[in-house]
Amino acid sequence: MKQKIIILVCAAIFAAGVIGSAWVLLSPKKNTVNVISDGKTVRTIDLSTAADEVFTVEYGGKTNTVEIKDGRIRVQSAECPDKTCVHMGWLESSAMPIVCLPNRLVIEFADADGGVDAISE
Amino acid sequence: MSVKRLARLGVLTALALIIFIVELQIPNPFPIPGIKLGLANIITVYALYRFRAGEVCMLVFVRVLLGAVFCGNLMALLYSACGAFLCLAGMIPLRRIIDEKHIWAAGVLGAVLHNTGQMAAALLVTKTPALLMYYPFLLVSGCLAGLFTGLCAQLVLARLAKSGIS
Repeated sequence: MKQKIIILVCAAIFAAGVIGSAWVLLSPKKNTVNVISDGKTVRTIDLSTAADEVFTVEYGGKTNTVEIKDGRIRVQSAECPDKTCVHMGWLESSAMPIVCLPNRLVIEFADADGGVDAISE
Repeated sequence: MSVKRLARLGVLTALALIIFIVELQIPNPFPIPGIKLGLANIITVYALYRFRAGEVCMLVFVRVLLGAVFCGNLMALLYSACGAFLCLAGMIPLRRIIDEKHIWAAGVLGAVLHNTGQMAAALLVTKTPALLMYYPFLLVSGCLAGLFTGLCAQLVLARLAKSGIS
């Protein structure tokens, strides 16, 4: 009996993960992008009007080089061990921000949780 | 603790570290922090069913610490330590409920708890609620990876029991 409950819990977690992933992947793109370093928004960019540009964001002596091109944004290079943020490529989903954990950098579409922040403040 | 048990724990820890380091060489096709196979947890699950709670904690603690030292990413140490802590806190009571025919479920729950701990640590460190959007992907990958490592551990335990080695 207990074993069945455990198996059901596993199945429920898996189903929740699949549904959540689908929801995240299906969220549409937005135009405004926030670049957040160590919890503070350092730049807000409107991708629909932004000119192509390359800029760097620094945290604790390490920098991430961010590239804006043809209305898209990505991390071009990073001084961190894993380079996960670089491999994530262009920012595609409002629900999936680009994150560099070692350098505490986040690039996300602004509307995604701007509303929640506005309410909580 | 007898010398024999201590020696076996040491060998298991070394084995887990070797698996951990070999796994680092496998390229990861998923560009999301926290997604990995976690093959070293085959050893953790095995130890969970053959050693006392304190001994399992020592094994995992040493493996996480030395693993972070060897792969040179001390930032990751914080995340994996939080994940390992939550995982152990959940699995040490649960191992009494999950019998040896369902060890794969222990793998799944352990992996999900590990991902949850990592996520909590990442949320606290970066103060970015948007990170939660990764959580569903971590759940799916955790279930699949945990199922795999759990099944491996289940097979190892069954084979060793059959051949008379505990």
